[in-house]
Amino acid sequence: METQPQQPPPPPVAEKLNPKLEKELNLESLKTRAVSLAKAIARILEDFDAYGRTNTTPKWQDILGQYSMVNLELFNIVEEVKRVSNAFVVLPKNVNAMNAAILPVMLSSKLLPEMETDDNAKREQLLQGVQSLPIPMQIERLKARMDMIAAACENAERVLADTRKAYGFGTRQGPSMLPTMDKGQAAKIQEQEKMLRDAVNDGKGTQLPPDQRQITTALPPHLADVLIINDAGKIALPGQSNNINNQGMMQVSGTQFVGRSAASPSGPNFDNTTSPLPYSNSPRATGMVNVPSPQHQIQQQQFQQQQQRSKLMQLPQHQQQQLLAQQQQQLRQSSMQGLGQSQIPALHDMHGQAQQKFQTSHGQHQMPYSQPMGAHQQFQARQLSGGHIQHSMSQGQLNPAMNRHLNQFSGGANSALFTSAQGSPSSQMIPNMSSMQSQTLVPRMQQFGVSGTNPQRSHSSQMLGDQMFNTSGMMQTQQTQIQQSQQQQQQQQQQQGGYGNMQTNQQSLQPNNMMQNAQQRHQNPQ
Amino acid sequence: MSMECVVQGIIETQHVEALEILLQGLCGVQRERLRVHELCFKSGPNLGVVSSEVRLLCDLDQPEPTWTVKHVGGPMRGAGADQISVMVRTMIESKVSKNALRMFYALGYKLDHELLKVGFAFHFQRTAHISVSVSSVNKMPKVHAVDEAVPVTPGMQIVDVTAPATPENYSEVAAAVSSFCEFLAPLVHLSKPFISTGVVPTAAAAAASLMSDGGGTTL
Repeated sequence: METQPQQPPPPPVAEKLNPKLEKELNLESLKTRAVSLAKAIARILEDFDAYGRTNTTPKWQDILGQYSMVNLELFNIVEEVKRVSNAFVVLPKNVNAMNAAILPVMLSSKLLPEMETDDNAKREQLLQGVQSLPIPMQIERLKARMDMIAAACENAERVLADTRKAYGFGTRQGPSMLPTMDKGQAAKIQEQEKMLRDAVNDGKGTQLPPDQRQITTALPPHLADVLIINDAGKIALPGQSNNINNQGMMQVSGTQFVGRSAASPSGPNFDNTTSPLPYSNSPRATGMVNVPSPQHQIQQQQFQQQQQRSKLMQLPQHQQQQLLAQQQQQLRQSSMQGLGQSQIPALHDMHGQAQQKFQTSHGQHQMPYSQPMGAHQQFQARQLSGGHIQHSMSQGQLNPAMNRHLNQFSGGANSALFTSAQGSPSSQMIPNMSSMQSQTLVPRMQQFGVSGTNPQRSHSSQMLGDQMFNTSGMMQTQQTQIQQSQQQQQQQQQQQGGYGNMQTNQQSLQPNNMMQNAQQRHQNPQ
Repeated sequence: MSMECVVQGIIETQHVEALEILLQGLCGVQRERLRVHELCFKSGPNLGVVSSEVRLLCDLDQPEPTWTVKHVGGPMRGAGADQISVMVRTMIESKVSKNALRMFYALGYKLDHELLKVGFAFHFQRTAHISVSVSSVNKMPKVHAVDEAVPVTPGMQIVDVTAPATPENYSEVAAAVSSFCEFLAPLVHLSKPFISTGVVPTAAAAAASLMSDGGGTTL
């Protein structure tokens, strides 16, 4: 279709494009460009093929670069064609059923209804103010408006140019420049970043203040069947019959006592379990008292009202604990620390020494013991050097018979024992444990106060042989005390090692011991 | 695998979709939804003077929540570590049953903080088994109130790239991770955790080009 607006339609015989138009169109160059574009695209596709076949990773930078080039080229070609396409009108050559209906609409020069209304609306808008005036005035007014708009545009351009210069932008830079973030924004972002990183890595900013640590009443489904909230809104732990403690926060604190509480049966409970130690070298026999660990003491106080009768009943100490509660509490921390450094060697002599004076030679332990000493004069200090302490005090295993000894052992002693026993359930312990465990499994079980009725006293300091103490001297102690039933005077070092692991088996003090163990252990290596 | 190589970065929430597209193209795997309730416990004084930390992660995305216990150690230090651009640290994790939570409470661990991380992750193999996760970090107004969690930083999400390693191969794994991170450079700066990097200034442009259908003007 060759028509040119200005000239009358040439005779339709020779269908040749008007030469002027033809020049404008520049068909030749267009063709070359299109062909080269097609080649470039083909090349890219080949590259991809190769990538796929050889399974190499493509270099994204290069590919993106090629893409953008191709894109640009295509855009330019289309622009060119658009420029001259005004001269052409596309008409269907043949009228057939398909286009018969639409043809008149296509050919009509009348605007589509929507376009027409659009046109009218625009015209309205334009001639709003000047409709009433005579035509020449209208023209003038419109001209004035146009001038004003032109002036405004010019000003805007000038301002843009000025700002560009001020910011050092090139005249043609535009969006490719790095967007500058003002200081305020950058600071805000940095602050947010710090918050976020800290929250993820450390939990800073996500911790709830202690007074807000109420467990939500509606637990999410994945926790609903795992945690049980008891009446007081705390998490109920195994072994706790009712609130263990009333600390506002999560019952973790309560949980700490779980073992203890479990271990500490109500007073009358374990009366039937105790029997005098038949072993000569058991601390019991010697009148040494297994002073409950300070932890127990504390527990005691808290659970006193509780009639917890867990299977860990073996902690008869609870009576003792009541006695020593106060002292133990204070001593707890200090003794823990003191014990950490205590040496084991003294442990060996523990056995068989019924009346061993409380050894305050270990300075570290002194403090803890000093207080109880005051309180309990009858304290027959076993050699409660750090390690030994454990022996003397089995946490739960004081049977009523030992009560008399309770006084003798200061809370500090207990704590010393416990702390030493605690040590860290390091891996060293574990191997020991396993080795030990294998040896006397059955008796060991007993020792570990499996039954509430048999308070086990771990006496055999002998057990605390060097083998046991790898890093922390204390490690052993715990074990010995805890579970040793009176029968087991044999070195129950094994037990000690086991504390870390034992926990699972032993219901009694074990948890306490273990924790102390853990504590100790950690101290020692560090 | 007792160690891990890890880098972290931040990205503005508005660019997260673009990052997802980029990762999809780079990793070649399907993205996985991420919805993890992370509980961080610190041991109480009864467990030792020096407190230790352990994390329990509950994957809420599965029909049955799965629990994992994880211990993260301190990073490797020294001149060698300084030369590596990723952080190498001990990390031990294991699947556990849901009773782990109660057990930790019973042991005397106190809940130090908890987070809910919601987002997506890609796990793929590229010399090493690399995991990239992009998630918003949420905190809870009440203990365990997962449904009421609010973002710590609404406009910003965290990008984690981790790969398990052993003491023998950590340097290769570190190299794999850092070379992968280069691909993400247009959108996010990655660095060792605890080191601030800021956002990428040109992220907006990169995101726009990723989101568009060709990057060119429409014809």
